[in-house]
Amino acid sequence: MQPIHKGGPVTRKTLAGRVLALLVALMLIAAACGSDSDSGDESGSDGTSGGDDAAAETQAGGDFIDLGTFVGDPPEHLDPALNTTLDAYQVINAVYDGLTDIDTSDPANPVIVPDVAESYEANDDATVWTFTIRDDQVFSNGEQITPSTFKASWDRAAQMAGDYSYLMSFIEGGIEVVEGDAEEISGVVANDDDMTLEVTLTEPYSNFDAVAGFQLFFPLPSEATDAADFTEWENGIMIGNGPFAMTEPRTDEEILLEKNDEWDGDYNGETWPDRLDTIKFVTTADPDTAYNSFEAGEGNDANIPPARTAEAQENYGTTLDVPILGSYHFQFNLEDPSVGGDDNLLFRQAVDQAIDRDEINEAVYSGSRTTSTGITPEGIPGFQADLCEFCTYDPEAAQAAFEEWEAAGNSQDGPLTIQFNRDAGHEPVVQIMVDNLAAIGIDAEADPMDSETYFSELADGACVFCRTGWFADYPTYDNFMYDLFHSDALGGNNYGFSNEEFDSLVDEAKQTTDKDEQADLFVQAEEILVNEEIGVVPINWYRGDYAYSDDIAVFPQTNFGLIVWEQVAFAA
Amino acid sequence: MFAYFVRRLLLVVPTVFFALSFLFLLFFALPGDPATLLAGGADRNPDPGVVERARERYGLDEPLYQQFGEYWGRAAQWDLGESFKSGRSVNDILGEKAINSLRLAIWAILIEIVVGISVGVLSAIRRYSLSDKLTTIATAAASAVPVFVLGFILQYLFAVVPEKQGWPDWLHLRTQGLGPDTWTFFFIPTGEQWRYLILPAVTLACVSTALAARMTRGSMLEVLRADYLRTARAKGLSERKVVTGHGLRNAMLPVITLIGLDFGTVIGAAILTETVFSWPGLGSAIADAVSERDLPVLLGLSLAVTIAFALVNLLVDLSYAWFDPRIRLGKDAEV
Repeated sequence: MQPIHKGGPVTRKTLAGRVLALLVALMLIAAACGSDSDSGDESGSDGTSGGDDAAAETQAGGDFIDLGTFVGDPPEHLDPALNTTLDAYQVINAVYDGLTDIDTSDPANPVIVPDVAESYEANDDATVWTFTIRDDQVFSNGEQITPSTFKASWDRAAQMAGDYSYLMSFIEGGIEVVEGDAEEISGVVANDDDMTLEVTLTEPYSNFDAVAGFQLFFPLPSEATDAADFTEWENGIMIGNGPFAMTEPRTDEEILLEKNDEWDGDYNGETWPDRLDTIKFVTTADPDTAYNSFEAGEGNDANIPPARTAEAQENYGTTLDVPILGSYHFQFNLEDPSVGGDDNLLFRQAVDQAIDRDEINEAVYSGSRTTSTGITPEGIPGFQADLCEFCTYDPEAAQAAFEEWEAAGNSQDGPLTIQFNRDAGHEPVVQIMVDNLAAIGIDAEADPMDSETYFSELADGACVFCRTGWFADYPTYDNFMYDLFHSDALGGNNYGFSNEEFDSLVDEAKQTTDKDEQADLFVQAEEILVNEEIGVVPINWYRGDYAYSDDIAVFPQTNFGLIVWEQVAFAA
Repeated sequence: MFAYFVRRLLLVVPTVFFALSFLFLLFFALPGDPATLLAGGADRNPDPGVVERARERYGLDEPLYQQFGEYWGRAAQWDLGESFKSGRSVNDILGEKAINSLRLAIWAILIEIVVGISVGVLSAIRRYSLSDKLTTIATAAASAVPVFVLGFILQYLFAVVPEKQGWPDWLHLRTQGLGPDTWTFFFIPTGEQWRYLILPAVTLACVSTALAARMTRGSMLEVLRADYLRTARAKGLSERKVVTGHGLRNAMLPVITLIGLDFGTVIGAAILTETVFSWPGLGSAIADAVSERDLPVLLGLSLAVTIAFALVNLLVDLSYAWFDPRIRLGKDAEV
């Protein structure tokens, strides 16, 4: 593109001509901005990370400006005990290491590995877990990490009763602390002499090693656990034990991290010597502004707005080839008389079969996502391909199901409202769905709401047919089935699916220590969810959505959506 | 004049009181229980015990009249409380946001005054010329272009294009953020600072500049036909003196009113511009406080905006007398 600014004085005689020229130039630029490219590079699906060539030459240090993480709002919480968002987890994960970590070098088989713990074991029925803590672990201020550090941190997290505190119910005495009836979790015993942390669970749970590495269970220094007011911790300098350290309190505009020289490496002991000197997370109020800023050279990475996927693929390195363990779907509220119940099963089937997921993927995401065939994505142990019976676009079958439903004496009282939060790019997806449904005679309409109202409404039970999504916290099947669709999650992440058989299968699977048997049970549960009850309409599985600048040689994103900040490096 | 000034100043007090009291009551009429939201209920049903603890902690369990009285008791001492959401002092939040808004507002209003009035005057004195017609089209277009569209176009033209074309740094404006915070006399940008300021200021000024230009043109056209201007010309005054010394001054009253109203708007309601350029000002902070049911922040920031609005309007009223000495602001005027 040629520069349009030619400089020089604008005289009165040539004003009209120049204004016209400027208008034409603006129109051309606008046209160029809006044009789609057909030459988008089709990335493979087997990438283990979104980084550049792993063998790329890197240079040590450098100051990285991140424009891709906080788009829209600054983080509400940075405290690991309170945060629920992936955005803030990007920072928390750079500042803290947990008992365990996830080795995602084989994305199809993520493996839980010890991290701050040097080893761990469970008893035969997975009710008592013993973690042996490494004795050389310190926070960035030099304070040693002991089993008591974890106990105090977990007690604090339970007392703070954040949105993830339901995980404390897995531990004996955990929920009592959450509800304010006790101050210490009785099921956690710290022995600093032999450096062990013994955790007794309320019932057998063979995936607890995965949960124990989650942010809620990260260790915090005594400055945090001894504080009179726990809520103040995240407003100051949060001291951690991860590869990076905070050096100044966060502001709404930015969060600055510096290399933590006290860090002794990841779960492999690798300290990544070319690690960045600093990372500045900049909050941008608007996703398009963030991408413009990235293009203007004001930062090193950005989140790719869906409409600019092809353009980003063409011009920058991206993490679009990283399959994310996350599901984008629409949930039916089975308690709602217009869509729930056995009488409406055929209606739900018709909706499910009428939606052209490939069209959504191509038109909205430039083919960058994976059309889903179930809720639980590949990479979760026990994953089964093509699990969903009605997720394939089949307008004839959908029409037949809808007509059969009508023939049984049913009719729509009003249009099916497809609810979604308007400020996150879902509108074009919903528009395609409305058109798809109209094609088979189902009257549907978009019902957009701002995010705050939307999630507040859903929590109040207002979902009829509502958009939602989920990124895995850890690689377990129950992180989808239990956290999203179990009756225990109603009023939380579950917006209206309740089935006793499903619940008992999930409960049984959680307690089963045999991995194959466990997988079978989870698959049976998911079949009830997507095939028998059709409580959910899967749309796609996420992929990485970061673009990074040419001067970055390595920019890995895990299947959990987390950037591995210690591995990010500038090109030599 | 002085008595008028004092009387108007005192009127600011009930204005602010009623505006804030209305907001206070409106807050509780909004759907959604603030205590539930404070307990993390934005996207789930939190534990009832946690909700009750939040209600107690923030005094939301007290009767409304008591909360109302306590709020005004503290506000009278300029203690605006603490944010429900972050726990930060609202006085601190106000200090940060208000200075950002004020800087942006000052430059937007300067652009509006300089460009809007100049273009309006030129357009009026060259009525029906090509430049007048183009100005009419341009101002109509400028008032119709949505702020976010204009913002993105400017970002593309003055930040992305210079980066891609390798233009020198000084031609490369910034798309977002406050910049290095290098100001002289609190609002004059120095060093790199102007590169951060210029795009949001122009975007914010665009619509009001167009309106000011159109209003100036219309007002000038009316004045230019007035008998006293013919007299001034007949006395042999140069056209420049006729236009600036007599015409412009008399045409300014409606324009000044518009600019006064704009000043209040750009300080407290520049939500779109602040969003597009990630400029953390009062407008977006107030909008966030509403959606987060953060009552202390909502009231504290609104209080500042209301006071600023009232004061600017007072200045506008006082300026009428300067622009048009026939307007008397004092005891004599009431006789």
